[in-house]
Amino acid sequence: MKPSAGRWCLAGALLWAALALPPVRHALESAMTLHMLVQIPLLALAGAWLAQGTPRWLERSLAAWNHRGISGLLLASLAGLAWMLPLALDAALNDPWTELAKFLSVPLLIGAPVALSWPRAGFVVRGIVLLELIATMLRLGWLYLISPERLCSNYLLDDQQRLGRMLLVIGFAVLLILVWKLMWGHVGGHATHDD
Amino acid sequence: MAALTMYPENERLAGGNRAAFNLYVISAVALFVLMMLLGLIMRMGQATWLAVQPDLFYRILSMHGAGMVGTAGLATTAVMWFFLRAHVRLHLWAFVTNYVMFLLGAACLIYAIFVDGYGALWTFLYPLPVHGMGLWSPDAAAVFMLGYLLIGVGMLVFYLDAAAAIIKVYGNLGRALGLQWLFRGTIDPDHPKTVVASTMVIISNVLGILAGAVVLVMSLVNAFYPEMALDALLAKTLIYWFGHMYINATIYMGVIAVYALLPRYSGRPYPISRAFLWSWAVSTVFVTLVFPHHLLMDYALPRWFAVMGQLVSYGAGFPVFLVTMYGALTNIYRANLRWTMPSRLMVLSLFGWAAGIVPAILDGTIRVNLVMHNTQWVPGHFHFYLLLGVLPMALALMFHVIGQRAGALPNSAADRLGLPVYLIGGLIFTLAFLDAGHLSVARRMATHLPEWTGTDKVGSIGAMLVVLGMLYFAVRITVGLLRAPARGEPDEGPANTAG
Repeated sequence: MKPSAGRWCLAGALLWAALALPPVRHALESAMTLHMLVQIPLLALAGAWLAQGTPRWLERSLAAWNHRGISGLLLASLAGLAWMLPLALDAALNDPWTELAKFLSVPLLIGAPVALSWPRAGFVVRGIVLLELIATMLRLGWLYLISPERLCSNYLLDDQQRLGRMLLVIGFAVLLILVWKLMWGHVGGHATHDD
Repeated sequence: MAALTMYPENERLAGGNRAAFNLYVISAVALFVLMMLLGLIMRMGQATWLAVQPDLFYRILSMHGAGMVGTAGLATTAVMWFFLRAHVRLHLWAFVTNYVMFLLGAACLIYAIFVDGYGALWTFLYPLPVHGMGLWSPDAAAVFMLGYLLIGVGMLVFYLDAAAAIIKVYGNLGRALGLQWLFRGTIDPDHPKTVVASTMVIISNVLGILAGAVVLVMSLVNAFYPEMALDALLAKTLIYWFGHMYINATIYMGVIAVYALLPRYSGRPYPISRAFLWSWAVSTVFVTLVFPHHLLMDYALPRWFAVMGQLVSYGAGFPVFLVTMYGALTNIYRANLRWTMPSRLMVLSLFGWAAGIVPAILDGTIRVNLVMHNTQWVPGHFHFYLLLGVLPMALALMFHVIGQRAGALPNSAADRLGLPVYLIGGLIFTLAFLDAGHLSVARRMATHLPEWTGTDKVGSIGAMLVVLGMLYFAVRITVGLLRAPARGEPDEGPANTAG
């Protein structure tokens, strides 16, 4: 564990706890856009910070199962897939157990695996993850915009369409940043290539 | 300036590299023959020389279109890999992954078409794939689209590995393209043209594949949840971005063979220049934006989109084309070129590219497109530049490699006969398409009016010659690749001594 890891770990725990506070939770779940684009990413961030406190021995034994970060990123993708479904968002609002599952699974099965796997991943793995992330945002954005009916019974159609537009904007923004960085930026030197 | 060695040590194929290259090339030439046979069946069906039921015709057309584009991608990826690995460190696993994904994808396409009866063509234009009218099910369309996804992911793995390797050496893709020398500075004479072309292909085709990944998954969603109705025009736009970019990338991957091999056969250096760098930089942008020229007849699209399609159409191909033509022709002018199969094929490819681009530019003009778009003029154009441009580029490398294996540059009497058969057949075949376009013969029609069958018959004869020529090339290349490598450099003939 690095010297600063304790502070990151504490920050992660505080963020997680803050997100669980009823007023914060209600505020962030009051709109579909906030729920999906703010609460869930912040929960993942809390998990990523918590993962900084992973003991060395655990990190080493996990690494044996996480060749080039592929297993961890795959786990995060599958968990992310579940929380992309409007049905899951609805269930989290209606059922406290599903809400609890969200508060546990997003930090531990998305944020932490990404934090532990990303540094181990090479250029190709990172590239595929980022491109798939962009493609997923564009697809979801398109889906939310064209869906003739509300996909979440807890949210209104205009909120759903706003989320669709924002996903499209974020998808294109991430794509532009990536293109810019690859064209003109400094791309991580020797660590980038899967040797 | 790098020495003009005919077979440099850093291009040597050994062990896994040799096995992988052989797999790519032998699969590609075998698939080319098979896909050409499917094409011949369709032309003979249109000529009424063969009874081909319409449902079978559209399945064959689906297989031929998707198969030819995929195989052209496979063959020219081998070209890019072969030359790029001499400059940057590529990983064999990425090259092999692309091959395996291609095979899995191809298996999906074959299953969807010949087992499940899919016949909505390579374009999978929404909503046709999910309206099989009893001829195929939405599941068949889903398997077809899954096949495309697998092929795209394989290509992506190869491109990302190539991008990582290029960035490791050059810092970023901009420097690999040579953008730092566009306005000032002394150009590094050893900056490889292969790296410039590969970088352009990586940038533009990754964006195209991304567009394909979006529309393919959206079409899959629609196949299983029909209530999610897509915007048909947006889906078409993305499909053509993906499809046009994919097939266009083959010529830019293939031309790497010309840049790398032509100077070895002419015995003259082929230096890099500022004009060369400018042309590839401009084409990187334009080639990415040129796809709207497929959508000129879609009146509902914004006007600026059509205008961009036409203007960029003029600008996309020309810079690289002109610079390559000028560079190649000055390279071989009075150079006492060593006329063997690779050099003949390279010169043929330059002709095929040059002549094939003319009907394309004409069709990319809105007033012409209005009349010619749905005629056989369009297959005339793309068969011209694929059959006589792209394919000879890939074949040039294949013959070059078997020359090393045989210990002599390929130039047998059978070679000297096989190439004219292929060339004459190719010209008859493509000119029959263009003439049919001139006569307003509709394209993508299983059954033709009696007045149309004249060009179909001429085209069929051309197609037979092409298949014969390609069959010879396939056997010659396969046998040549599978033989044990000869010791030492091959006999390079009396004309020039490279080095």
